Amino acid sequence: MTAVLDAPPVARPRLHRVRARWGWGLGAVAVVVWSLAGAGLFAGEVVNPAGRAQFGRFASAALSPALDAEFLRVLVTGALVTLAYAALGAALAVLLGALGAVAVARTTWGRRRLGWTLTRGALAVPRGLHEAVWGLLLVNVLGLDPWVGVLAIGLPYGAVTAKVFADLLDEVPRGGHDALLAAGAGRSSAVLYELLPPAAGGLLSYSFYRLECAVRSAVVLGLIGAGGLGYQLSLSFSSLRWEQVWSCVYALALLCLLADVTGRAVRRRLAAPRSSPTRLARDRVLTAAVLGSLALVAWSWWYLAVTPATLFAERTREQLGYVLGAAWPPDTDADLLASVASLAVDTVQMSVIAIAVATVGAVLVAGVAARPPGRMTPGRRLLGTVVRLGLLLLRAVPAPVWALVVLFVLLPGVLPGALALGVYSFGVLGRLAAEATEELDPRPRAALAALGAGPAAGWLYGVLPRATGPVLAFALYRWEVAIRDSVLVGVLGAGGLGALLATQLATFDWGAVATTLVALVLLTLAVDLVSARARQALR
Amino acid sequence: MSTRRTVRSGGPAARTPLSRRGFLAGGAAVLAAGLAACGDRTSLVAAAPSGSTGRLSIGAIPDQDPEVLQRLYRTVADSMSGALDLDVAYQPVTDYAAAVSLFRTGDLDLVWFGGLTGVQARLQTPGARPLAQRDIDADFHSIFVVNTATGLPPSEDLTPLAGLRFTYGSETSTSGRLMPAYFLQEQGVDPAGFPGGPGFSGSHDATLALVASGSYQAGVLNEQVWTARSEEGAVDPAVVRYSRTPAYYDYHWLLGPQATERLGEELPGRLTGYFTGLSADDPADAEVLDLFGAGAFIPTEAGNYDRIEQIGRRLGLIS
Repeated sequence: MTAVLDAPPVARPRLHRVRARWGWGLGAVAVVVWSLAGAGLFAGEVVNPAGRAQFGRFASAALSPALDAEFLRVLVTGALVTLAYAALGAALAVLLGALGAVAVARTTWGRRRLGWTLTRGALAVPRGLHEAVWGLLLVNVLGLDPWVGVLAIGLPYGAVTAKVFADLLDEVPRGGHDALLAAGAGRSSAVLYELLPPAAGGLLSYSFYRLECAVRSAVVLGLIGAGGLGYQLSLSFSSLRWEQVWSCVYALALLCLLADVTGRAVRRRLAAPRSSPTRLARDRVLTAAVLGSLALVAWSWWYLAVTPATLFAERTREQLGYVLGAAWPPDTDADLLASVASLAVDTVQMSVIAIAVATVGAVLVAGVAARPPGRMTPGRRLLGTVVRLGLLLLRAVPAPVWALVVLFVLLPGVLPGALALGVYSFGVLGRLAAEATEELDPRPRAALAALGAGPAAGWLYGVLPRATGPVLAFALYRWEVAIRDSVLVGVLGAGGLGALLATQLATFDWGAVATTLVALVLLTLAVDLVSARARQALR
Repeated sequence: MSTRRTVRSGGPAARTPLSRRGFLAGGAAVLAAGLAACGDRTSLVAAAPSGSTGRLSIGAIPDQDPEVLQRLYRTVADSMSGALDLDVAYQPVTDYAAAVSLFRTGDLDLVWFGGLTGVQARLQTPGARPLAQRDIDADFHSIFVVNTATGLPPSEDLTPLAGLRFTYGSETSTSGRLMPAYFLQEQGVDPAGFPGGPGFSGSHDATLALVASGSYQAGVLNEQVWTARSEEGAVDPAVVRYSRTPAYYDYHWLLGPQATERLGEELPGRLTGYFTGLSADDPADAEVLDLFGAGAFIPTEAGNYDRIEQIGRRLGLIS
């Protein structure tokens, strides 16, 4: 006892505020306030209580989805088409990602920073455009061909995947690789034998994550005519048959759930491998998952009747020439540039409000949506399931549907668009926040509970402080996504670059389309840079 | 230590029955064969490009009851196949601009276009020709509607609408955008100058719902949809008719040049003959006419849409 007392006091780190974080925090608050002011929140009426009846019609239809046999048959075919697009799109993304990773990895470029920066910058172009925009552009070149849907998912996802794959490869410890090089092995052998195997788990895990995302994207593509569930949804949506819309949403939620569950199982397995140290054997579950996915891709190829011939067809070249010829040079007249600039501000405000709403919501529900370790009371389990299903539905209803429905109860402007995006992002972010909460160290909360703290206090002091970092990081990631998604909700009077792009595409003003697309890519790039810096400050 | 592990860690290798190179080559051959084998399957979502086959791809802009039209369009395809002895396939499209693009690329041979989209398609596809329209299309109207909370009585005067939150339908809809914008302009109302800018609801039904909610105080839609919804009793009592536009030409069937090249010079005549020959007395024909909400189809010509083209240029909808 005395020994302990006599010991010199442990040097404790002084509790101080980190300036950078405070700077970013205050900056974020200022930006949110600026966005809300821009959306007219402080300038007068924004709510339209009279629209409750219309909103109620949408909401109550959720309880009476269309279930007649013929419509269900339509839904099953739609779900299969959506699944096939998602599988092929994700497969293409992984393929492009693997090739692209070689092109953008630091390992490839070594000390040549310029080349590395340029190739990385080139990836921002496919990544900066929403899948739906890719789809609309590709329809003009490829016409009615399944490649439209596959490429629209595969190209932007491929760029993201390339970046992530390259980072995963670069993060592998260099020892073995350098040793092989020193021993006289070729560069490709060194990479194949010493970098690839340790990175394989991460690569596989991310590939399955992409497949999950691809399901949701395939639905959005259906909205622009690529077929599948999204197509059926958009048909029912345009004549406001809410019962049918809900059936589509449920089918879609089911598909997402399926992708989520399998993807999660695979990722869990990769994070905690079950191989015993004495026996070197392949994990059966993982082998089955990989073989199953390959079979799924093969089936999708057959089901959609994809043929590489159309990509190289004479007509494809002609149509590509037509579109590029019409789009080059991009319009640069002062009027257009001025309106692009002012609408870009709207888009930024819309995305900021959306992410702010989604983050607040996500933090509030994360505790309930997370599966806590240990036993749960039946009530708590039920509550958790209900919240998780609610979040699933929020993200299964596509953003354009939210845009119309929110517009029933809010007056037109940036705000309804922002809320529509916010509700949708909340569905995604809520789930990510719940997962982040599950991965936290459970001991502080358990200690508080053991000392007699109630569940709310335990959550406030034991969970919230540690969950804030990862949740904010996710929110910043989603911000970039929200900028791209704003294209989807822009049309309905919500404005922003999305509305402008919709007009230009509808009037076939290709020169102006090119200008707007450049603006969108630059905006996404800028947001990406800002969000990366902010995430750095959070670490 | 199992033999497998010995082998992996570089121990004496058992002879593999198949060399790696052989395995890869074999795998590639199987894959290529598989890909080739499914090459001739036609897709669920896309027609084999109409290219050399004797098939006619038809489509329609998703305007009135797209959900009913697109799901029941097989009726039209079957009726045409039977009457013309052609393989007619219906291709679904969800987007106005996509219909125009697909007509240009040749994926769609014969499309049911609106007035404006038809002009856009003709300008992008040299050699395209309008064939037939419905009896009601030569005398088509739009209806301006207002929310009852505005207290506006029905009137021919459009100027009171200028101060209201206003929504059109789809951006390139003739009846939900182009012609109403023109008639507003004729009366001195800036068609883009409503408070907060005009909205684009995306469809005629969405316009009705938004005006009913009061988020937009006024809007405009296709008379055919307004009449149909009123008869069904599906119009919210908060929405009332404010004004009816003068008449204009709207929807028509447009035929692409590649179909004539492929299926023969007499194709346009045969198609026009088929459409104008549809009779309400024949039950099968009546089903098709009913789908289009028409009493009969009548011939049409490009000149009927000159005014739409002029207005489209003036409003910046045709570039």
